Amino acid sequence: MLRILLNTVLRSLYRQKAYSLMNILGLATGVTCTLLILIWVEYETGFDKFHEDIDQVYSVYESQNYADGDVFSVYSTPAPLAESIKRTFPEIKYSTRMVTTWGQLILSADGKSFVEDGGKIVDADFFQIFTFPIVEGEKENPFKEENSIVLTEKLAQKLFGELDPIGRKIEINSKFDYVVSAVIQNPPANSSITFDFILPFQFFGKLWAYDLNDWEANTFHTFIKVEEGVDSDDLAAQLQTYIKDRIKNSNVDLDLQAFVKYHLYAINTNKVGSIWYVRVFLLVAVLILLIACFNYMNLATARSERRAKEVAVRKVVGAQRKGLIGLFLGESIFFTLISLGIAVVLVELLLPVFSDLTDRDLSLGINNIKFLFSVSGIVLLTGIVSGSYPALFLSSFLPIHVIKGVSRKDSALLRKVLVVIQFSMSISLFICSGIIYQQLKFLRESDVGYNKNDLIYIEMADDFNSIYPKLKNELIKIQGVYWVTAANQMPVNFTNSTWDVDWPGKIKDSEDILFQLSFVDYDFIETFEMNVIQGRGFSKLHGGDSLKFIINESAAEKMNMVHTIGEPLQIWDYSGEVIGIVKDFNFNSLQVGVEPLIMMRNPAAFKYIGIRIGEDVEPILNKIRTVWDSTVPDIPFTYRFLEEDFKYFYTAESRMSKIFISFTIIAFIISCLGLFGLVSFVTERKSREMALRKVFGANMDTVFQLLLKEFFKWVMLSNFIAWVLSFFVMEWWLKGFAYRIDIGIGIFILSGFVSLLITFLTVYQQIWKLALKTPVRVLKYE
Amino acid sequence: MINTKNLIKVFRTDEVETTALNNVNLEINKGEFVAIMGPSGCGKSTLLNIIGLLDNPSEGELHFNGYQVENYTERQRTNLRKENIGFVFQSFNLIDELTVFENVELPLLYMKVSGAERKRRVNEALERMNIAHRAKHFPQQLSGGQQQRVAIARAVISNPKLILADEPTGNLDSANGEEVMNLLTQLNEEGTTIIMVTHSPSDADRSHRIIQLFDGHIVTENMRQKL
Repeated sequence: MLRILLNTVLRSLYRQKAYSLMNILGLATGVTCTLLILIWVEYETGFDKFHEDIDQVYSVYESQNYADGDVFSVYSTPAPLAESIKRTFPEIKYSTRMVTTWGQLILSADGKSFVEDGGKIVDADFFQIFTFPIVEGEKENPFKEENSIVLTEKLAQKLFGELDPIGRKIEINSKFDYVVSAVIQNPPANSSITFDFILPFQFFGKLWAYDLNDWEANTFHTFIKVEEGVDSDDLAAQLQTYIKDRIKNSNVDLDLQAFVKYHLYAINTNKVGSIWYVRVFLLVAVLILLIACFNYMNLATARSERRAKEVAVRKVVGAQRKGLIGLFLGESIFFTLISLGIAVVLVELLLPVFSDLTDRDLSLGINNIKFLFSVSGIVLLTGIVSGSYPALFLSSFLPIHVIKGVSRKDSALLRKVLVVIQFSMSISLFICSGIIYQQLKFLRESDVGYNKNDLIYIEMADDFNSIYPKLKNELIKIQGVYWVTAANQMPVNFTNSTWDVDWPGKIKDSEDILFQLSFVDYDFIETFEMNVIQGRGFSKLHGGDSLKFIINESAAEKMNMVHTIGEPLQIWDYSGEVIGIVKDFNFNSLQVGVEPLIMMRNPAAFKYIGIRIGEDVEPILNKIRTVWDSTVPDIPFTYRFLEEDFKYFYTAESRMSKIFISFTIIAFIISCLGLFGLVSFVTERKSREMALRKVFGANMDTVFQLLLKEFFKWVMLSNFIAWVLSFFVMEWWLKGFAYRIDIGIGIFILSGFVSLLITFLTVYQQIWKLALKTPVRVLKYE
Repeated sequence: MINTKNLIKVFRTDEVETTALNNVNLEINKGEFVAIMGPSGCGKSTLLNIIGLLDNPSEGELHFNGYQVENYTERQRTNLRKENIGFVFQSFNLIDELTVFENVELPLLYMKVSGAERKRRVNEALERMNIAHRAKHFPQQLSGGQQQRVAIARAVISNPKLILADEPTGNLDSANGEEVMNLLTQLNEEGTTIIMVTHSPSDADRSHRIIQLFDGHIVTENMRQKL
């Protein structure tokens, strides 16, 4: 029986090449998209799972509660926390702090120096919590000695080449001597924690003046590994008030997050977590597969005329309905299997492109049982879903009707409903990707409140204040360099904040608000071309300006200041006065609104040099390089364009939007196949009517208009459904942005136009085919 | 073998009611060769389809081999049909995607006959219909006469007690028609009951009995001398 089934399917596949091709292509495209998305989802959800006992590892994070109702969640925690909770709670087996080396360090070995910024500073327990494999050297405790450094294989190779790195000396910033104690495997691409080298925590105290007993400053990630079987909810409940118990009036709650969630579930509520994309793309995968299934149903039932005789004959010679349902389901599963074969080849071909698009190192998980299992499930489900309706429909034919030529109960309505759903889904995807594209374009191009073009910045590794004044003097002399300034952070990356701010009229505690805090030098406002609304920027002309503050509009508003200039303000122990207000500018992604900001001049904290240059970039950069090399010969010249960093804010989004748009196009193509199926079905059904009309003098124009009118009706209905659906979905999505576009009518009109155009072309092509047939041929075979 | 009592078949659409068969009483014995004749639309094929259990009568009784079958379910009718009845149609009704061999084999598949046995029987039937050399061909590659011989091979493969033929020579030229009629006559001589709808008097001449239908009624029944 199976042989006959296979023979029938293969022969009808061969005999009706165009139809089979459409069917298989539709399914193969759907399965390809689904596979690609699944591979990506598998990758995203598999982050960090290579660590042993990863279920016992947690991040400790803070939720800061503010007077204005804001809850600000951060992974940054106080320095003493890790050790303190480990001592207090026996459930906690290991704990470590982790901080990225702030800025660049100069690592010198064997007489060569390299500027490196990929370092992590951790406690010794780090190696017990995370199981990055150590390939050489001290495996149990790489930080037995205080001056140990652990290198990745990559950095070890870079610093020492083929030499054995273990026991070799590395000089950091020409001040500190460290010895390589271990070489660790390069962190895999699906690791949330990445590094080139790891330093023991004591290094932090050596390099930066920082009170490591301060419970109020939050700087470090804290990770813990609990004993097996510990209930994390219980532990989290006990931890919740741990900071409040130590600091009176603290607004901080502690909580735990399983480390496996670290990658996908960002705790910072201002940021869209990757899980959002995972969900959206899973939905897209389901939609595309559904569209492909509907497509199959449409095409399969559209050919029902041709299958009717076969069904009748089989029934006459003894086939039961159940057997026929099995036959047609078998056929659709067979089609899906062929499609899977093609899809696997397509996936292999497309994976490099898709990996580029997603910026992930993706591969087809042939050896991943779970993945293979889900793929088999998908194939079976796709086969059953797409074969279900044709099987029920075709097997219901009564042989007597076929033999007598009685027209059967029509399934046209259901087919139209399928095409309407299919088109509604594709048009929705079309509109959504259009709006996403517009929104991202808007974010990229909107005014951020300063001039981000023609601005470079240099990150200094060390000894800022011994180099900067001299450097600035020289740089400003260069023709094409307009302004030079310094700051502790650039407006693409403001991370410092404090709530320890006092101003006249503040109601103590109840008005604790989180202020962004930035330390900037003279000429900062001028270099970034920000707009001063009141007062002035920091300037040498006014002396040190050391206890003066510049605030932004939002801060003035929050503090309810009436006469701002000259108002007293206190941050921590610094008491001073406000000398200027700048118009709000964005110092983070535009997804996030502008927060209240205070700027003060504190040269001790400076780390970056910002330079406003002219448009003729290359020669100016060369001159800057020459000045740098003569002033700071030991350190290689590295710089960045602010505009490039700004683009980086939206890389995830624009990457996702590119993928989204690609899948939309695919969904649209599959839907067009579905429409093609429906149109060919209807023209086949109507060929007798058309032939008769022709016999009695109708020309093809009339016939064409008749058909077109019918299909336009359905496509317009799909448009209407899609418009409403996508409008609400996109309104919801845009709500997540502090700065957003208003949804315009253009994209809706465009979607209508495109879908009608496709309909027009499809109908035209089919009618043309029909027009070429002479009526007598159609009528004769009726 | 077949017995009908007051068989009525009415076709209804929203506004029109057509009586295709009106009080048809008929008895056909085992081994008979019966021809049903009459003008177009007189109910010949309707009667054949009801006897072949492809259609239900609106009223009346139908007895097949002693069983009263007019109220049988689809499943019961299918089972009865596949064991007992073979069909030959005017338009052959072969499945285009199957070879000659596979088309003939089809009824045996639904009877769950073993592979070796199927092969033996199909080859035998094809030999008998003188079409064995075309076993691997597809229906479209054959002439009309050849196609009809394949259809007859398919009809007899399950050794049915009854063969229903609806204008079996209607689409054939005279030479091929003659050949098909020879085959049917031969089958009848071997004991198979045959009921044939035909417009052709010469084909009808092969039968034992001619039933004339007119507007759903049996108007005459002529017993014929066996040739």
